[in-house]
Parts: sequence; C-alpha cells; structure tokens
Amino acid sequence: MTGIARPNGQAIFALVLLVLTSVYSSQIFKLGLPFENGVEPGASFLPIVLSAIMYVGALRILLVELRRGRAETADARPQSDTVPAVTVLGPLVVIAATALFAYGLERVGYFVAAGAYTFVVALYFNFEDSGRPVYALVLSAITALAVTLFGWAFFVWLFELTLPGWNL
Amino acid sequence: MLELAGGFSALFAPWPFLYLVGGFLLGLLFGAIPGLTATLAIALLLPFTFGMEVTNALIMVMGIYMAGIYAGSITGITLNIPGAPSGAITSIDGHALMKKGHGAQALSLDAFASSVGGMIGALVLMMLAQPISQLALLFRTPEKFSLVLLAVVTVTIVSRGSLWRATIAMTLGLMISTVGIDPMVPKGRFDFGSYHLVEGIGLLPAVIGLFAICELLVQAATPARNAMGVAVAELPRLRHRDFIPDFRIIREIGAFLYLKSSVIGVLIGMLPGGGAAMASFIAYAEAKRTAKRPEAFGDGSHEGLAASESANNAMCGGAIIPLLTMGIPGDAVTAIIFGVLLIHGLVPGPGLLVDHTATIAPMFAALFVASAFVMVSVVAFGPFYLRLARINRGMLYAFIALVSMAGVYASSFSGFQMWMALAIGIFAFALRRFDYPVVPMLMGVILGPYLEEFLRRSLIVSKGDPTIFVTSPFSLLFLLLTLVFIWLLRLRPSARAGSTG
Repeated sequence: MTGIARPNGQAIFALVLLVLTSVYSSQIFKLGLPFENGVEPGASFLPIVLSAIMYVGALRILLVELRRGRAETADARPQSDTVPAVTVLGPLVVIAATALFAYGLERVGYFVAAGAYTFVVALYFNFEDSGRPVYALVLSAITALAVTLFGWAFFVWLFELTLPGWNL
Repeated sequence: MLELAGGFSALFAPWPFLYLVGGFLLGLLFGAIPGLTATLAIALLLPFTFGMEVTNALIMVMGIYMAGIYAGSITGITLNIPGAPSGAITSIDGHALMKKGHGAQALSLDAFASSVGGMIGALVLMMLAQPISQLALLFRTPEKFSLVLLAVVTVTIVSRGSLWRATIAMTLGLMISTVGIDPMVPKGRFDFGSYHLVEGIGLLPAVIGLFAICELLVQAATPARNAMGVAVAELPRLRHRDFIPDFRIIREIGAFLYLKSSVIGVLIGMLPGGGAAMASFIAYAEAKRTAKRPEAFGDGSHEGLAASESANNAMCGGAIIPLLTMGIPGDAVTAIIFGVLLIHGLVPGPGLLVDHTATIAPMFAALFVASAFVMVSVVAFGPFYLRLARINRGMLYAFIALVSMAGVYASSFSGFQMWMALAIGIFAFALRRFDYPVVPMLMGVILGPYLEEFLRRSLIVSKGDPTIFVTSPFSLLFLLLTLVFIWLLRLRPSARAGSTG
C-alpha cells in the first residue's frame, strides 16, 4: 500500500482539469481557423479536438463523482507513527525543498544548494522512519555530504556535465 | 542479421562492457527495491546520456531494462512485496516456495527463466528487426498516422482502472505536446508570452517530473512501515552454490514451457501498452491452463514461476521491435529510450536500422548478454538479496532527488526546466492520487507531435478527405487492429463482467 489516498476531492480535481482546459482553450483563438482554405487542417485543429475530449471526460467524471457523494469516495489514509498527516506533510516538505533547490542552485551554487536539499530530504525520511531526531540529524548530515560529493563526481568528473560549483 | 550480430564484438570492448555491467547493477538495485522501477532508473539516467556516446547510453539502458524487469521478482519471492509490477505474478508461486523453505531454489529458477526468456526475446529482436524495418519503409503518411493512433489508443485502453481517466491522462500528454512551435508552420502555440515555452516542454523535464519527482512525492506520503514491508523471517545462512538451479526441476518444467512463455512475452511486448506485468500474467494463465497439475499453481508451482518470469523478460526484446522499426514506443521504458535516441539526433523508425546499424547493433547484443548476466547475478548476489528491501530510505530518496533535479539542470543549463520538472511532478502526483495513470500522459507527450504531423499532412494531401486513411491497405489494417484491440481489451471484458454480475 502506498500513501496515495483517494480523498473525496475527485470532483474538485475534475474541476481543476476543467479550469486548466479552459486556460489552454483560451489560446486557441490566436491560432486561426481549424481548417485553412476550407480543407487543410491548421494549427488549431488538434487543440480543438483535445479540448473537446477534455471537457467531455472531465465533465463526465465530475458528474459521476458528484452523484457518488463524499461518503463513498473517502477511504483510509495511511498513518505514520512519527509525522502527523504524513500524506500531506511529506509531499509538502519535499516540494518545498525541491523548490528551494531550483531557486538556489544558480544563486548559491551546487555544493550549498545540493547539501541543503539532500539534508532536508534525508532528514524527513530518516525521522519518519526512526522517530529519533538526533539519530536522523546525524545520519542525514552524513548522507547529505556523501550524496552531494557523489553527485558532483558523477555529473562533473565522470560525465563532464557543467554545474555551478560555488556562487557565494 | 550478420550486421546485427556484429554488435557483440563492439559490446565486448572495455568501455561498452563496463557501461553494460553498470547499467545491469543499477537495474538490479532499482528493480529489487520496492517502489523503485527500471523506468525510474532509466529516467534518472536520461540527463547523463548527454555526456555519453549514444551506443554506450543504449547499452547501459539495455542493462537496466533487463535487470530491472528481472529484479522486480526478487523481493516478490523473498518478502512477497514485488519490487516492480512485473514481479507480481512471480511472487505468487515464488513466495509460496520461499515459505516452504525453498527460497534459494525459487530465486535460482526465477533467474534461469528470466535468462532464457531474455535471450529468446533478444534473438527474436535480432531476427525480426530488419525485415520489419524494410516493411515499415513502405509506410506513407496515412499509414504512419494510423499506426501512431493504434499506439495511442492501445496504451490508453490497457491502462488499469477507469477508461475515462486514462483518456484524460493521454489527452493531457497530447496537449503538452502542442506547446511550442507548430510542427507544420513556424508559429508559436500556447506559449502564454513566455520565450521559454516557445521551445516547447522538453522530454527531459517531462520524464523526470512524471517518474522521479512524482515517485519522490508518493514515497514522502508513504510511511516507512508501509513502503518497505515487514522484517524477514529468520532463514538458514545461504551460500552462493545454493543458488545454482536444480536441472532436474528444469527438465520437469520442460523446454516447451520456457519457449511458449517466451513467445507470449515477445508478442505482448510488441503490443503497445503490453508491458511485463501483462506478459507474465498471460503466460502464467496459459501455463496453468495446460498444466498436468493446475491445482499446484499458487502453492509453489515451478511451472508457474518459470512461465511468468520467462514471459516478462522476453517482453523486453519484443517491446524494442516496434520502437526501433516503426518509431512506436509501447511502454514507459521504450518511450524513454525513444528520448535517448532523440537526444542524440537519431529518429526511431524504419530508417534507423538502415542508416545506423553500427550504432544500434551493440544494443541488441547488450540485451542478450544482460540476459546471461541474470543467471550469473543470482549466484553472485543471491545471499544478499534478502537485505535489499532494508536499504536506508533517507539516502535512497536524497540521491534520487538530487540526481533528478541537478540532472535536469546539468543537461539543459536552464533553471526554468527544473521548475517545469517540479511542476509536472506535482501535477503527476495529483494525477496518481486521484487514480489517473501517468504512462499514457508520457506517451501523449512523445507521440503527440507525430500524431498531429501525420494527421495534418495526410489531410493536406487528400485535400481534407478523411477516406485517405481507409483506402490504403496498411492504414486500414492498423485502424481495424485498433478496433479489434478496443473490442478485445475493453468492450468484451466489460460485457463479460456485466453478464456475470
């Protein structure tokens, strides 16, 4: 069993898809007619077909889920002994750490950004697994050092790709 | 065929061989750890391929592919937690044998069947690749459109769960593929005024987002006790020689069963959306149907174990055939291999084998040799397999996180591509959370440009007349096959389920 619970947000997600489709469709008008010269399919032809499929599919799911109601769609989410609301908090921690890495890589360089990123990710998983903060901190610091150096060796030395080392 | 066989001499040069061994070990590790898959391993490798020769990259991918599919059964046998979906059927009889105290024998039979299946798949690939390529050279634009449509529809209908959700996932992928320059006229589409989006959404952030970042988020939402399984029961200390297969049992299983299951695996592999899990399931069901003692299936049957494992590794060779000969990836792994080829300026399709035989031939040889490695690996590493599911999650996911994000940056020098990978990863996580499959989405991203270009070119040639798709024999054949697959894989099972209540 994975942490992917199916909350009663199926209908809300179908709505999100409808909104995304509308944002996509709003650009179609800039692409001209679906058939140029009356017969040749143009740049807007496939996007119109795809938007139609999305509207039909998402609306159908929305209606089915609304008819089904909240009680039938809710199911049990896995619980962690150490992290509250793990199915929400866990992904949020990883998303925040990843976003900070994406923001910081060009600003502070690989070593600081990668060290911090791998430390936070390892700390989350180690603490969730063991529930022992000091143990998790020490293990994650060692992990961060090893993975950061390994990553540099792999990317830069072995495969000769370029990363910004120190930008401080 | 002889030219393809020449790939063996290229493979046994020091560097290509090291890449094969490295890829094999990586695939073994990723396949065996629950939650990680060969697809993820190949996705993580994608950024590194920028710094590799294309032949070495393809050799490494083949090693990962073969080892990853095989290794999915290791923790399935030892812990009853398949490392990958491909190992789920093998776990039924493999774990039953484990509980009876025949764990080492189950692992060795499993490896033997994987080796045999993998080799047969690789041989079929070598025999069929060039004739199918020659045939595919005859395809014109309408045939190509119908073939891509067949792949798009089949991948959608074989997805588990709701057909509507799979259709939406595929459509989302196709929508992503329309972002950027129009394939027919130099005009930007869906760029929302951003110069980054004029270039389109790259394959690399799409693959990393859909598989690596999404998996990272899924694992962060999964408590360790659910992810890694329970402690392994105490077992007697096993030696390397305990993992040499018992040839008396192999004779009992019989060469025909290995051959039949492997052929099933190859055929399922050639079907878009087929995949290892489907191959092993169908071969297992067929072996049970023709078994002398079908009641033993599920309770530690050697035949069941051999059938499912031969089929899922033979599938690898089968899945490569439509990719290289017709440019049609059938599953996530072949879709990423498609990306590796594109990154290096090679367009998968009928011309590939004609124009680049020397580049592609070692890849075929690598698939064959990696199959042989499977048998060697169980003897070498068998005693350590029981510990694989206990690897530290913090280290594992910190590694995956860094390789994913730094890999996207290092291969594109673009902070925007990292943000795109994160955004796609979050969106894919939401899709999985709400039971939408992500593989059709990747297929949509990859096949979308071809689907649109072939459709529009065909209709321009016919001056808007859609009957162009049914007047060509090959195109008509592909459209009829599409209808047959819809009937066989969706409508008939639904009708049967309805009639049995």
